[in-house]
Amino acid sequence: MRIFLDLWWFFKQEKWKYLIGIIFLMCSSLVSMLPPYVVGVIVDAIRDRQLTPSILGKWVIILAAAGVVSYTAGFIWRQMIFGSSVRLARLLRDRLFHHFTKMSPSFYHKRRIGDLMAHSTNDILAVQDAAGEGILTLIDSITMGAMVAVSMITLVSWKLTLIALIPMPFLAWATSYYASLLHQRFHKAQAAFSELNDKVQENIAGVRVIKAFGQEQAQKDLFRKQSADVVTKNIAVAKADALFDPTIIFIVGMCYLLSLSFGAVFVVHGSMTLGELTSFTLYLGQLIWPMLAFGLLFNIVERGRASYNRIDKLLKIKPDIVDRKEVLDRVPRGHVSFNIQQLVYPEHTIPVLKDIQFSLAQGQTLGVVGKTGSGKTTLLKLMIREFDCEDGDIQIGGVSIYNVKLSKLREAIGYVPQDHFLFSATIAENIAFARPEASIADIERAAKLANIHDDILEFKDGYQTVVGERGVTLSGGQKQRISIARALLMNPDILILDDSLSAVDAHTEEAILRALKANRDNKTTLISAHRLSAVQHADLILVLEEGRIIERGTHDTLMANDHWYASMFRRQQLESLVEEGGAYS
Amino acid sequence: MNEHDTAGAVSRKSAFRRLIRYMKPHKKALAGAFTMLIIATAGDVLGPILAKVFIDDYLTPRVFDPLKLIVLIVSFILLYVIAALMHYFQLISFQKIALKIIQQLRVDVFGKVQHLGLAFFDQTPGGSLVSRITNDTEAIKDLYVSVLSTFVQSMTLLAGIFIGMFILDVKLALICLIIFPIIFILMQVYRRFSSKIYMRTRQKLSQLNAKLNESLQGMNIIQAMRQENRLRKEFGAINQQHFSAMMKSIRLNSLMLRPAVYALYLLVLMITLSFFGIQSFGAVIEVGVLYAFVNYLDQLFEPVNSMMMQLSRFQQALVSAVRVFELLDDKRQAPMKEGDGTPSIDKGMVEFQNVSFSYDGKTDILKNISFTAKPGETVALVGHTGSGKSSIINLLMRFYPIDRGKITIDGAPLQSFHDEELRRKVGLVLQDPFLFVGDVKSNIRLNHDYITDEQVIKAAEFVQADSFIEKLPRKYGEPIGERGAAMSSGQRQLLSFARTMALNPKILVLDEATASVDTETEEAIQEALQNMRKGRTTIAIAHRLSTIQDADHILVLHKGEIVERGTHQDLLELRGLYHKMYMLQKGDDLNHHLTLATRSGGAS
Repeated sequence: MRIFLDLWWFFKQEKWKYLIGIIFLMCSSLVSMLPPYVVGVIVDAIRDRQLTPSILGKWVIILAAAGVVSYTAGFIWRQMIFGSSVRLARLLRDRLFHHFTKMSPSFYHKRRIGDLMAHSTNDILAVQDAAGEGILTLIDSITMGAMVAVSMITLVSWKLTLIALIPMPFLAWATSYYASLLHQRFHKAQAAFSELNDKVQENIAGVRVIKAFGQEQAQKDLFRKQSADVVTKNIAVAKADALFDPTIIFIVGMCYLLSLSFGAVFVVHGSMTLGELTSFTLYLGQLIWPMLAFGLLFNIVERGRASYNRIDKLLKIKPDIVDRKEVLDRVPRGHVSFNIQQLVYPEHTIPVLKDIQFSLAQGQTLGVVGKTGSGKTTLLKLMIREFDCEDGDIQIGGVSIYNVKLSKLREAIGYVPQDHFLFSATIAENIAFARPEASIADIERAAKLANIHDDILEFKDGYQTVVGERGVTLSGGQKQRISIARALLMNPDILILDDSLSAVDAHTEEAILRALKANRDNKTTLISAHRLSAVQHADLILVLEEGRIIERGTHDTLMANDHWYASMFRRQQLESLVEEGGAYS
Repeated sequence: MNEHDTAGAVSRKSAFRRLIRYMKPHKKALAGAFTMLIIATAGDVLGPILAKVFIDDYLTPRVFDPLKLIVLIVSFILLYVIAALMHYFQLISFQKIALKIIQQLRVDVFGKVQHLGLAFFDQTPGGSLVSRITNDTEAIKDLYVSVLSTFVQSMTLLAGIFIGMFILDVKLALICLIIFPIIFILMQVYRRFSSKIYMRTRQKLSQLNAKLNESLQGMNIIQAMRQENRLRKEFGAINQQHFSAMMKSIRLNSLMLRPAVYALYLLVLMITLSFFGIQSFGAVIEVGVLYAFVNYLDQLFEPVNSMMMQLSRFQQALVSAVRVFELLDDKRQAPMKEGDGTPSIDKGMVEFQNVSFSYDGKTDILKNISFTAKPGETVALVGHTGSGKSSIINLLMRFYPIDRGKITIDGAPLQSFHDEELRRKVGLVLQDPFLFVGDVKSNIRLNHDYITDEQVIKAAEFVQADSFIEKLPRKYGEPIGERGAAMSSGQRQLLSFARTMALNPKILVLDEATASVDTETEEAIQEALQNMRKGRTTIAIAHRLSTIQDADHILVLHKGEIVERGTHQDLLELRGLYHKMYMLQKGDDLNHHLTLATRSGGAS
């Protein structure tokens, strides 16, 4: 029941809704006590030949009134209680999302998106159930159970009540036991299903190998076996599920038997009328639900508590990239200077960057090259504070980036990441991501700069073409150029291109670089690349290896050095020649 | 929204008919389950009748014959025991049948997908295909397990109760029949509204999850571009829409489900009481009948509730069924054996005659390719990405049907071979060595049962994979996780070599890996490749020219055409494209020479 304490803040916040809901819930339970009583009265009246049209009319009208009241009450409490539980789900979802937007990449590195999704879907549903069904079963099992028992005792006979109810606690116990059994088996069935899903995924991914080795039949056999396992686990679920109905039927049947046999004795002795016995058996029927509810309650709150704990734990994680104290509230501008002694990732010992010192006047271009894993991306990411560097400083216009408001810092920088991620929206919306209010003209200008405008016009819906899973599939180069356009639309003082030209051909790369040069007057650009032609015209080129600068200079000085840069450059020149077919193009 | 995309080929009606047809093989089991259900329902119905007998024949006239009473009590208990047992077993049988039907449907879809051609896989995103086979069939499972099963149960119980009512009092039972049109109308109305709202809630939920998933994936962009607030708002808006849809569904359910059905119950109760009451003004009536009747009414409405709650699921299942059947009807089959005769591959002579090919029917990826590989010869294909090398292999492996031209093996057209013959005699080594979840041994043997353990080990030794396998803690039994993530790429490569060699193919098709591996494994790989090629016709895509210097023919491809052909020496002397590629790969020690080559090659 601890979940109700955990959720107390919410109940307090929604106290009127819950209060009204509970009152109407109890009201509808109370009204449902009436029909059995009426049946009893009429049976007795018929038997005693006392029934008159006016008595009959009176009771029928009372029943009709009961119908109206119970319908209204039933409608209201559902709105209040279930409605509140859905409201709680909405609230928790918003909170989680808000929280997610504050977490830094290190948070996402440690967790799988699938798990975070599960917290936001299944766990929230379980908590929602606790706040809705949980309250319902709690109130119903207590109040309705009590009401039925009281009605039986006061309106009929306390002795018969005691006797007839002997089997009932067993029903509550059985329900609780079955529900937990069901839940366990259901989990196993789910696990088997997700294994099956993995199997299918593997099969689709490995389709070439399967076809090349003629494995179709074998795969089918394996699938048959594995899906048979899913069936077996589901049958186990069905076996637990099938326990409920028969148990209810049997236990209630025994209750009927007890009440009929002993009731008959009371009727014969004259301490009870036949009508009262009829009412009594109807009350018995009304006791089934409170007993079931009592059994279900434990499962609902148990699951709710576990889920709420998981959500709460997630919400309590503090974001690690935040504004420091007393920061400047203005967009930084000016020359960029890096002075990094070393950068070590948390839980690692080897520094990813070491002794990086350079400065770049406003308007200059920096090129960063080096092998995969040499630290290029990390260096650039420090700039937008995806990571913080404890051992060193980065300054823009003489002000440390750590002394500027995070949002102001990021306002100064346009960032094109290596993994060009686009959102499932139109191309125009994607380009205007940082400035949703941008005009079509602005969007087109950015697209032209990024050399993607003509490509976009070739799509059927032009700028309104939807990209992503539900839309058209773009080539890697097109995605890259759209994400460049996205950054350019910000018209940022500092532009970061993190290996963002890898998927476009040499001519396009050249065109983009030329356009950047022409249009970004007095603005700073930082480029990292595998293809050296992308940084050839930079004012400063750094060659990184294992996080250190091993060469620095301009293209000409580096070529003259005739070291890593020069040999790589020549190699790539030849490579591009071969790609173009040498003599045959 | 997806329903509109696909509604063309298979209608919901025909999907439903086909789903029903899947029940056919289970006729006997269904009959058995149904019999149990009828017995169980009869038990449910008989209980109140026994109580009526007791009240009217014994209690009211105060006749208590102990023996008869005991018989009555014992039969009452027996009745409930039987009813409970029958209910338990019929529930399980119905579920078992439903699950088996779904299993069959799943196996059918999966099997169908196995025999679709690669052209189909190129055009269909993997994720949606997986979802067809698992999630959509899971939704159909609901149809059988919950919807149909609930309907059968509930209808039977309703019928049983009405039979009981007719036994008790024909006139009243007839009057009570009016609830059917009322229930029917209620259901129709509910179905119309609920299917809309249900769809909307589901749609909003999937939008909500999509938004969340996407935001989590692109969080670094959102943060770098300071769009956290906007995204929060957007997410909040969808969250709000989902909330309103949920509230609508709660409102509808509280208007039309339990509260409405309870009101209906009270209405029927009022009619029943009035009926008996009015009768009692003129005549003596049996109170037991009234008792039993009221008891029936108590039971009558639960099945109605259950059925109504399943209605919205029904729609969802049909939408999924339409998608699944459309996949089952897909015509893009993998190329199969054509014509009579069962040619076999004994020598391993491969011939391409004027082969042209296009994936999309517009641009030709291969243009007029002709070459011959005599038994035991090695033909190497070189060229940059997109030059058509892989397409040649795709055609030879019969992954795609041949458009134009002819490919023969040992003189017989490629189309004439049985799948087994082709797959056994033509061994493919793929660029990306795909490993299956399992262990080392199962990855080498795959599911070829005729390959013995000795042959597996021999194959591993042959490609020198045994040295690293022996070092694994569980050797050939070492488990391999998803995609063999724990192995190095060189090790994965060697395993895939062993897999091919275990088949001992006549023809070897190599798609050399571009990914560089550590030098030690690299040497092992090169040596293994040399050994594998001995005595076999080999068609090889080579990225490292050093590995195919001894090839009998080297074909240099550019834009789908063979632009140079000959031996290594011939091609070097030609000083064309091959020569440039070769120079490029000779590495950094020739840097100086390269600079010259670049200049003389005439850069663009």
